[in-house]
Amino acid sequence: MNDEQELLRRLRQAVIDGSKERSVAEARAAIEAGIDPLTLLNEGLVDGADEIGASFQEGKIFLPELMLSGIALKAAMAIVTPLIKDRNLPGQRAVSGTVVIATIQTDVHDIGKNLVASMLSAAGFTVHDLGVDVPLNTIIGKASEVDADIIACSALLTTSMPYMRDLVGVLEATGLRERFKVMVGGASITPALAEEMRADGTADDAIGAVALARKLLRERRG
Amino acid sequence: MRRYYEILDRANRGPYLTEEQWDLEKVAMTTRHLVEKYKLSWNPSCILPRDGALADAVFEAGMELAESLGVYCRDTKRVIEFDPQELEAGLRRMPQTLTMGEGKDQRTFFVRGIEDGRPPLIWSGNAGAPIPERYYLEYVMVYAQEPIVDLLNPGSLTTVDGFEVRTGGPMEIAACRREMEYMRIGAKRVGRPGMPILAAASAVSALGDVAVAHPDYMRPCDAHLVPMLNELKMDNGNLARAVNAIEYGVRNASLPCVSVGGLGGDAPGSAVVNVASFVLSNLVCLSDFHICHPIHIRHVATSTRAVMWVESIVGQAFARNAPCIMVSDIFPKSGAMTRELLYETAANAIVNTLSAAHLEGPAAADGAAPNCSGLEARLMGEVGHAVARQRMTLEEGNAIVLALLEKYEHIFARREGNPGLPLDQVYNLETLRPIPEWQSMYEEVVGELRVMGLEGLPVP
Repeated sequence: MNDEQELLRRLRQAVIDGSKERSVAEARAAIEAGIDPLTLLNEGLVDGADEIGASFQEGKIFLPELMLSGIALKAAMAIVTPLIKDRNLPGQRAVSGTVVIATIQTDVHDIGKNLVASMLSAAGFTVHDLGVDVPLNTIIGKASEVDADIIACSALLTTSMPYMRDLVGVLEATGLRERFKVMVGGASITPALAEEMRADGTADDAIGAVALARKLLRERRG
Repeated sequence: MRRYYEILDRANRGPYLTEEQWDLEKVAMTTRHLVEKYKLSWNPSCILPRDGALADAVFEAGMELAESLGVYCRDTKRVIEFDPQELEAGLRRMPQTLTMGEGKDQRTFFVRGIEDGRPPLIWSGNAGAPIPERYYLEYVMVYAQEPIVDLLNPGSLTTVDGFEVRTGGPMEIAACRREMEYMRIGAKRVGRPGMPILAAASAVSALGDVAVAHPDYMRPCDAHLVPMLNELKMDNGNLARAVNAIEYGVRNASLPCVSVGGLGGDAPGSAVVNVASFVLSNLVCLSDFHICHPIHIRHVATSTRAVMWVESIVGQAFARNAPCIMVSDIFPKSGAMTRELLYETAANAIVNTLSAAHLEGPAAADGAAPNCSGLEARLMGEVGHAVARQRMTLEEGNAIVLALLEKYEHIFARREGNPGLPLDQVYNLETLRPIPEWQSMYEEVVGELRVMGLEGLPVP
């Protein structure tokens, strides 16, 4: 293994281990060693994130590890991505999309929402998690403020699901619908229900949510 | 009452933390430390461990977690802390018997033990699942007519007179009252008007809970849920449910749905969080009894190996260290008209019955759809009674559960789940009888279970 590969392996491992301090230090060391930031992003950070996501899906790791990896990844990306953005390089695997996520108003269930937020963070998205029982206008206000690409909201309770339909309705009524992609989720949400709500999609699980977010981001950015 | 107000006051004055700090720095890190400290581990091939030292260690770790952390109030972002003496006093106050319902339909809960020969009480219904209003009454009756079912658990109404119900909105009041009317009428029509009810499934906010606190709806002899949020959290709405019950007198059921694979990590850490949740719920939920309902973070169902292990070890931990009335939930992945629903129900009922609990469920199809029937409730009750009466051991139970897992575990790999069919397609709702295909499937599975070692099951 040459020096570059070793540095990438260490960065990857820091993300997998969920060590914010080490991921920052390894990212800095790799940059100082002259490794291309795009390579750092693709083969260090994103590969590490993908491995974490797969391990969670296979039941090898659990939510705390996923959350810590997301934090470690976010810290390292804060160092690496500005270098790439400055150069506007093609072939960037990582996404720099922004997601505003919340459990919709009146619902306080957040396991699924937290899981999707952690997986999106671990996949490189900038995630603004507004928590639970979040009023529609707060979600839309935050999405406008941070110029989000995607609004993601969830409801476990069947009787809270109508508020997600309202969210899309308010976006339409205020002329903001084209500005954001909307993902909806929750135990009882089906693709047909998502379509009926005029959302842009739903997913079966957190891995599927990341794939959907990547697809919607590509659509939004053409 | 004043004592509880003082606890509520702590939610306004306790240490301030962000929710992220609570989740990661407090719950996740402390639990991880305790799992290492107490050397807790599990074996996925041993769902029903006979290991008193392990059960005691899980209990001790849970007590330490409860003492170290307390409960987080999501609305005020403050921690409700307790000293060890308060937690001990809470354990001592846990009722050892509890009577619910009225007249000949009245039932008395009692503290069950590990491998207890006394049959568990059977609490049935597709808990909280959305049930169409057009056949809600029939839904109640197909459960209430089963003689083995002792208590009823409603589903939720999502419409009233065709109008949409929204959480926290005015229609939640109408939904909860309508639901309770259907429950009471349904029980009466099958000749069991005094059946106890866990009220009201449509009360997804405190508004609904308050709305039914009247003898015409939720009687003082019924029970209601005082949920604890994931993990070790309360909010003002759920605290309000406890306050509402103080003078009214309804039985408080704690419901912490600990996420297995969530902040507690793998099964041992999740069991520790579950123990701590019950210990703390004695004080913040004013629990009269506990509903053990860990959920799998990816599969939801309680019939996974990890969740059943948690249900077993938590039940055993309390039976050995702080006996109390525990009702363990059964939420299978599969829905009606699938063999897997019956296998999952049987496995989960064996585990819970042997682990000192009464039985609640089965909420088929993860409780997310009306894909349920009275038949799986009958099986749940029959299995629970057979396990107790034939004095099944943990080892015998484990062998059957492992064999059943081989028959249904494949469904967890299906992205689409195994939802089955809704009630109106598996029962004739005029006669309230299962369609022949569903009845045959049930009879075949009962036959299989008898061959597997549940010889105490009645021949259909």
